[in-house]
Amino acid sequence: MTGAWWDDDDQFLSAVKTALATADEVPKRFVEIGKASFTWRDIDAELAALTYDSANDALAGAGTRAEPASLRCLTFDASQLTIELEIIGDALHGQLVPPQPGEVEIRHADGTSGAARVNDVGYFTATPVPTGTFRIYCHTASDIVVQTDWISL
Amino acid sequence: MRDDPTVIALVARATEGEQTAWDEIVERFAPLVWSICRRFRLSEADMYDVGQNVWLRLVEYLPSLREPAALPGWLATTTRRECLRVQRSGWRNERQLAQTELDLPADEETTQVDQWLIAHERESALRRAFAQLGERCQQLLALLMRDPPMPYAAISADLGIPIGSIGPSRARCLDQLRGSPHVAALIDGPAITTGREGGRDRRMVGR
Repeated sequence: MTGAWWDDDDQFLSAVKTALATADEVPKRFVEIGKASFTWRDIDAELAALTYDSANDALAGAGTRAEPASLRCLTFDASQLTIELEIIGDALHGQLVPPQPGEVEIRHADGTSGAARVNDVGYFTATPVPTGTFRIYCHTASDIVVQTDWISL
Repeated sequence: MRDDPTVIALVARATEGEQTAWDEIVERFAPLVWSICRRFRLSEADMYDVGQNVWLRLVEYLPSLREPAALPGWLATTTRRECLRVQRSGWRNERQLAQTELDLPADEETTQVDQWLIAHERESALRRAFAQLGERCQQLLALLMRDPPMPYAAISADLGIPIGSIGPSRARCLDQLRGSPHVAALIDGPAITTGREGGRDRRMVGR
């Protein structure tokens, strides 16, 4: 290994070939999906970041947990509001902390969405459990507007 | 690459909400995201899934990206994690497969991501240098890179140049490529050092 990859003409040409092929093989639609994600930019709603995911625990202690595989807990924190999610069976259960009424929307990355009411003690539910990539957008009666990170279960 | 002023400017403009700047970021880095998905041998549907999640996360992350020059590293790490997530969900009922050669401890993850970034940096520099070559050189090199190889006689007929000049032209065109500022910067020493790799080697020697 005396010469570097750029010294020898054959090696250098083959590096160029690889470079061009790598870009050529990226499908157009793959790039288009990336460009389209920019429409999700929303600077009005505060982002609630994922701070706890039970799946990480499960992986760390692989196989040691006794809960049924369908149980999954996620916590998202924003400055004034925490959104706790639990997936049990075929339903998504949500709890706002501190408890308060409002509305939530389940927004899917493909542009579709569904709404749910948050009751007076901050609880909401959605069935069936959303699939694909989605996020929870929440507007409370006291006018707190937050949305969670993207979720893929 | 990490100090690429273009990337820094693109990130600043995209953060301000400029779609065209965002589009350029995606075009520049889609090959990096795609090539990492390929390494994980994901199905095409899963690759699109990973791609979408990576870009969605970047939309969120962009305003808090303090060091725009760190974007390639963030993208590589995020893509890798998304690939692992998709793999795991596919293996939900086959736990014994959850450890793969790509599922590594943290410092080895860093080394692996660094290697991908070095490859990406090299490839994008070569692509940019190639795009700036003269038309004749681009045509000649494109024919010389054909798979299966194209006979010199056919290249000569295609380009209308004598067979005897193909060899010297090839050498001249490759020299032009090496002389391009994009490639010259790489040859002088990649911006992404392999220092971590060296550190790992030393650690192993110390044991």
